[in-house]
Amino acid sequence: MSALERNNVTVHGAPDGRPMMFAHGFGCDQSMWRFVWPAFSDEHRVVLFDYVGYGGSDAAAFDKHRYSSLAGYASDVLEICDVLDLDDVVFVGHSVSAMIGVLAATARPERFARLVLVGPSPRYLDDEGYVGGFTEEDIAGLLESLESNYLGWSSEVAPVIMGNPDRPELGEELTNSFCRTDPEIAAAFARATFLADNREDLELVRVPSLVLQCSDDAIAPLAVGEYVHDRLPGSRFVLLSATGHCPNLSAPHETIAAIKEFLAE
Amino acid sequence: MSIPNGLLDESADDLFETAPCGYLTTALDGSILRVNRTFEELTGRKRAELLGTRFQDLLTPGGRIYHETHYAPLLRMQGSVREIAIEIVRSDGSNVPAFVNAVVRHDNAGQPRVIRTTVFDATDRRRYEQELLKARRREHEVALELQRGLLAGALREGEGIEIGVAYRPAERGLEVGGDWYDAFWLEEGETLAIVVGDVVGRGLGAAATMGQLRSALRALASTGFEPGPLLEALSEFARRHSVGQMATLAYAELDVRLGCMRYACAGHPPPAIVEPGGAAWFASDGRSPPLDAYNFWSDRPEGACQLSAEAIVVLYTDGLIERRNRPVQAGLDELLAKLDRLRDEASDTVASSLANEATGTTSQPDDVCVLALRLGPRA
Repeated sequence: MSALERNNVTVHGAPDGRPMMFAHGFGCDQSMWRFVWPAFSDEHRVVLFDYVGYGGSDAAAFDKHRYSSLAGYASDVLEICDVLDLDDVVFVGHSVSAMIGVLAATARPERFARLVLVGPSPRYLDDEGYVGGFTEEDIAGLLESLESNYLGWSSEVAPVIMGNPDRPELGEELTNSFCRTDPEIAAAFARATFLADNREDLELVRVPSLVLQCSDDAIAPLAVGEYVHDRLPGSRFVLLSATGHCPNLSAPHETIAAIKEFLAE
Repeated sequence: MSIPNGLLDESADDLFETAPCGYLTTALDGSILRVNRTFEELTGRKRAELLGTRFQDLLTPGGRIYHETHYAPLLRMQGSVREIAIEIVRSDGSNVPAFVNAVVRHDNAGQPRVIRTTVFDATDRRRYEQELLKARRREHEVALELQRGLLAGALREGEGIEIGVAYRPAERGLEVGGDWYDAFWLEEGETLAIVVGDVVGRGLGAAATMGQLRSALRALASTGFEPGPLLEALSEFARRHSVGQMATLAYAELDVRLGCMRYACAGHPPPAIVEPGGAAWFASDGRSPPLDAYNFWSDRPEGACQLSAEAIVVLYTDGLIERRNRPVQAGLDELLAKLDRLRDEASDTVASSLANEATGTTSQPDDVCVLALRLGPRA
């Protein structure tokens, strides 16, 4: 199966424009970018996708080993770039996708022109001399939350979600669809995300990057954003007045403006 | 219907304050603007303390991540969330499991203004869910244990032979699969029986079925049935006792000193063989339908072949050769090619390499079971 179907890749905007790839974070799907990407579609070839198990991706392609570390998710990104033959890519990654972008751009720098890291964190767990903001116990609590929240996922609707061409109308009726996924897949992504340590990867980045930091972000605190900025060679840092972890949803205009300014440099 | 005077003399304030659920209004960033008495009681926190605090700051750390990554985005995108399970930290440090519904209220211009949230104490419900989860895990463990117990006892080594087995349950789901294998002497040091099978279904039922088939097969084989008649008798057993309908298996008997192999397959892919100095091939005679598949089926043929010293015989389940979006023939061709490459390896390595390659690629929808037998050098 092609990476395009596996990752439910959708392409919008100017076919000959500079490619701009938007990657969603842990939790929901590509619709996280719905208020942002249209602002770039005049000038850019906009590429959106879902990680395996999320949104319209092929959940049957989920591979426990491949997706147990962020490298597997970065491989998906690179495979999409290969299939679409994307060069000079502006990669915009939200949350954990910021580090997935770092890994992809380090592995294949020739594909990427710029990285936009929205709410990045290279390590969520506290460590000696480093405050990530969370303990292993906290992550265990998150896994419990995932286990008690099926968000519309059950064995009854699973076949529908995994693509039931005979009854497309069912897809429309399901609520919570943006964040709906197989609990097992969600747990694997959560572990890959929150137990990762990508601090050493930051200084390997060779493309210009922008760190977009929210004010008062419980997932990626200010100190973590500054840490990323300090270690990313030649990066630019913008502190948004938006609060929370999802400025792409809560403050799309501010987010768009910051990215445009960075791209205009 | 007439309502007695005064019965509905409830003020809006009273309806709000003593509603049978915690009720709060927050700003879009979660800061609490208004809260009712029920929520104060639920959290053990006073109104003065709650006002201005963000709703998400009342959650456990794990719940806070869940809030930021699922709850808040969903609320933004669909304007409401329903039945979200979270835990709220009370003033004494204990946690209350709760179900939360929330809606975004918009102003006349359609701009989101505030979030209204109701919070239901779900202590008992959560306990019940935990019980269910525990029961499901327990069933899985029991099935696994049963499966392990049933698969134990298969011969792994003996004079003049070397047996390797790789057993890989499917990647997804909690239930155990229905693949099984066995190896035992019909005559110690002379005739060896090997079998790999696949029963329909998963979980405890499948584990029990394979246990019955395995015992029946051992019993029948020891009474002198030859491969074809043995599968006939096993199918009759399946029909008569309603156990293992449509189960498939490959069965082979080998004279380990002379290299003579007799075999039969019921709805099962053929044994793969590689001999020193020759290309790998399939022993594709002796084919018949799965057990208890058709009422009118009785004749089950068998095949026979002569193997060189140090030949490798591989029995396996369809999980090894079947992949989505790939014809079965491609899987069979690939198996022979891999076997050609693995011919000099120990049988353990042959079995695990074949299984690993199958399970190492993308999706592995089915269980994989591989049994590799290597004959010793001729005396």
